[in-house]
Amino acid sequence: MRFMVIVKANEESEAGHGPSAELLAEMGKFNEELVKAGVLLAGEGLTPSSEGARVVFSGSEDPKVVDGPFAETKELVGGFWILQCRDRDECVEWIKRMPNPDGQAGVVEIRRVAEASDFENMTPEVEELEGRLRAQSAGEK
Amino acid sequence: MRFLVMVKASPESEAGVGPSREELEMMSKFNEELLNDGRIVFAEGLTPSSEGVRVLFEGDAEPKVIDGPFAESKELVAGIWVLNGDSLEDVVALMKRAPNPEAKGGVIEIRPIAE
Repeated sequence: MRFMVIVKANEESEAGHGPSAELLAEMGKFNEELVKAGVLLAGEGLTPSSEGARVVFSGSEDPKVVDGPFAETKELVGGFWILQCRDRDECVEWIKRMPNPDGQAGVVEIRRVAEASDFENMTPEVEELEGRLRAQSAGEK
Repeated sequence: MRFLVMVKASPESEAGVGPSREELEMMSKFNEELLNDGRIVFAEGLTPSSEGVRVLFEGDAEPKVIDGPFAESKELVAGIWVLNGDSLEDVVALMKRAPNPEAKGGVIEIRPIAE
């Protein structure tokens, strides 16, 4: 099973303060462990929401574009991993061990990634494209 | 540059109501365009937050685990793309063309990935 692990933003990440040298080093080690265990499929950090935008769709009107920053800091995404784990418990065990050298309060959300079998209306054509998307992602690594 | 494009959850996605065949085909067509245009690094949908958990860190205490579902459905993520783009404006223009079947509405958030 694959899981998207979403690390929520905090005041520091939104202010554009990068991770401390200590956190960066520990995170590097943790990522290396994830790679060695064959768990890590992808992992990225985001820049502050001040550099982002939202596209808002409403009825059949033209979508509106709203520039960041966005206020609800604790709900924003700061970074993510995509992990391959046996089950959710294994994923939780990994994440409980993620480095937090400064003892900062924070929230990490773990969500299962949908597979083709999760879509009841899947068609052979859509599944074929999904396969090409998968191959593309695998090629990027 | 690479961008994380997040489709926010809706009451339907949170209820586990998957896309209709028509929606799936519209999205698939859009994805095919993005793929042929060399835009897609990857694209994934998420299952409802009822299948998810949150891990809460606070100081040196053992992290707490809270089971989903989570209430703030408009802030939850339902699916993502990681896309290549020249600029934020470039990706915004692309996503304005994302399918909006039955004019249901919704929010897509676009965030640059740190390099």
